[in-house]
Amino acid sequence: MKRVLWATALASSMCSTAALAADKLPQAENPYYTAAQQELQLKLADKPNTNKAKNIILFVGDGMSIPTVTAARIFEGQQRGVDGESNSLVFGQFPNVALSKTYTNDAQIADSAPTASAMMSGVKSNNGTIGVSGDVARNDCAAQLKMPTTSLAERAELLGMSTGIVSTAHLTHATPASVYSHTSNRDWESNAELPEEAFKGGCKDIASQLVEWPAGDGFEVAFGGGRRMFMDKTMADPEDKGKTGQRTDGRDLTAEWVKRYGNEGAFVWNEEQFKAIDPAKTKHVLALFDRSHMEYEADRAKDAGGEPSLAEMTEKAIDMLSQNDKGFFLMVEAGRIDHAHHEGNAFRALEDTVALNDAVKMALSKVKTDDTLIIVTADHSHTMTISGYASRGNPILGLSEEKGDDGKPYTTLGYMNGPGALKDELRADLTNVDTQDPDFLQQALVPMSSETHAGDDVAIFATGPSAYLFHGVVEQNFIYHVMDYAAQVESQLAK
Amino acid sequence: MTCDRRSFLAGGSAALLGLMAAIPLARAAESLKIRDIYKTQDEFSTTAKNLVGKRIEIPGFMAPPLKADASFFVLTKRPMSVCPFCETSADWPNDIVFVRMREKLDAVRFNRPIITQGVLELGVAKDQETGFVSLVRLVDASFDLV
Repeated sequence: MKRVLWATALASSMCSTAALAADKLPQAENPYYTAAQQELQLKLADKPNTNKAKNIILFVGDGMSIPTVTAARIFEGQQRGVDGESNSLVFGQFPNVALSKTYTNDAQIADSAPTASAMMSGVKSNNGTIGVSGDVARNDCAAQLKMPTTSLAERAELLGMSTGIVSTAHLTHATPASVYSHTSNRDWESNAELPEEAFKGGCKDIASQLVEWPAGDGFEVAFGGGRRMFMDKTMADPEDKGKTGQRTDGRDLTAEWVKRYGNEGAFVWNEEQFKAIDPAKTKHVLALFDRSHMEYEADRAKDAGGEPSLAEMTEKAIDMLSQNDKGFFLMVEAGRIDHAHHEGNAFRALEDTVALNDAVKMALSKVKTDDTLIIVTADHSHTMTISGYASRGNPILGLSEEKGDDGKPYTTLGYMNGPGALKDELRADLTNVDTQDPDFLQQALVPMSSETHAGDDVAIFATGPSAYLFHGVVEQNFIYHVMDYAAQVESQLAK
Repeated sequence: MTCDRRSFLAGGSAALLGLMAAIPLARAAESLKIRDIYKTQDEFSTTAKNLVGKRIEIPGFMAPPLKADASFFVLTKRPMSVCPFCETSADWPNDIVFVRMREKLDAVRFNRPIITQGVLELGVAKDQETGFVSLVRLVDASFDLV
């Protein structure tokens, strides 16, 4: 009797399975399903681009953590009135992605100096140092002179390639400085910050290293901020009334730049002069748009002298650099994502990330990924998180719908530490606060005057020749090795 | 006076504070954000120009005071942990407001949101007491914690 029952049950089960197999998958018409199927077909059609990279563009979002990228794509979509959560940034659609381990030779959590240097030189080094080996301690001028590294840009210049740096921060700030300078202290931006002992020891400030850069014929493009590092304190700033340069050695490095390049060189400091540059005629341009850092994208329209956007600077840079048939290396930094995070102000961090996205979009419209490797990455992370259980479509800068155990609402974006934390006070009630105001500071836990970097991995997005090599979790200095391999820099120099 | 908006008129007596709370006129009529003071870094906005001479309120943050017993401070759009005037090379934003208090200052931490009330003045002027030159001022001022 039992055997009969078992047989019946088995037959019934088989029939039922057969019936299910014959049916169409119930979710097959679901838009999520069909969209993912389309993506699958695109991925299956992917072929590695093994061409030689004629050009390399490295975009660095300073402090652009993965939550920053996620929040920025939601923000950008919501600003355009489309679904933010499913929105994609331009570089979010790049075919190749990897995670980058950002620890440094001596630190679990990095600053921008050794991380940018890792990308530019292929090795990890110590916090606070730029373009030197891991054997050089911070402030050690003698060791700095003995153990510099050489950057990819310096090697590219030897091949006759053109080179450029673009940054919304000082051009003497850590990330752009990693392309050309060698220093045991990132703060030695002008000679005023260089200690007497280091000066006597033969170490040079970062700004003077830029204009004297001995690699090839020097930079074709140097666009950014930090004008005061290039001017003497006796010189009036051309834009900021009543303010002067910072140098104490009487040097005017902007004039030295022009003198170095003669009719082929130019120094500009405002938007009008910048627009007037003819890429076919002017070969070497130093542009310093602000005495300090350039403005945040959110504040750019109010700049006295006018500043181009990161996208406009990228466009001009490519127009100038692409005059050279031997190709170019360009580093573009959205340098103030980091500053906004340090201020605990997510709005400006996201706006500047969107500005970076616009710059990447501009680059894609100017070059072909057949012969140009484009990488978008960050040097290190920040402590901003995206938390709670906000509903789909809730403003990314808004309040989450539920409340904390203290009965008060909280924002989706928040920081682990920084100026958004009150000292010895209860958490503020945000019920009637406009958390989407551009100047709102997200709440934080640990009170600190400046929010800190974070140690989590950052993303590498890549497209173009050798971009397929970016997959998995890689060391940050691996980025240099892919760029070098893609453009065959060392292999050509070895011939 | 509500629990979350404590007046910080330093030197003011409890009686004075109580009196102020009872007089709604003591509160500013119009509010101006620091970012709306300027049209460009070189030019004041029409909104700001129209408020000159009026008692208004401006939300912001108090930069660390130069002196402990000062009766002035610098109001900033976002927190600045560095003392203004102490470091000439510091990256100070252009859009700051010099606040001349009605009474001596009872300073608060640099990142504590405050609302400052005072009479708006625009244009270059040298503060008689300190010699500091400023472009935007709130005078006869007081402030509340937010």
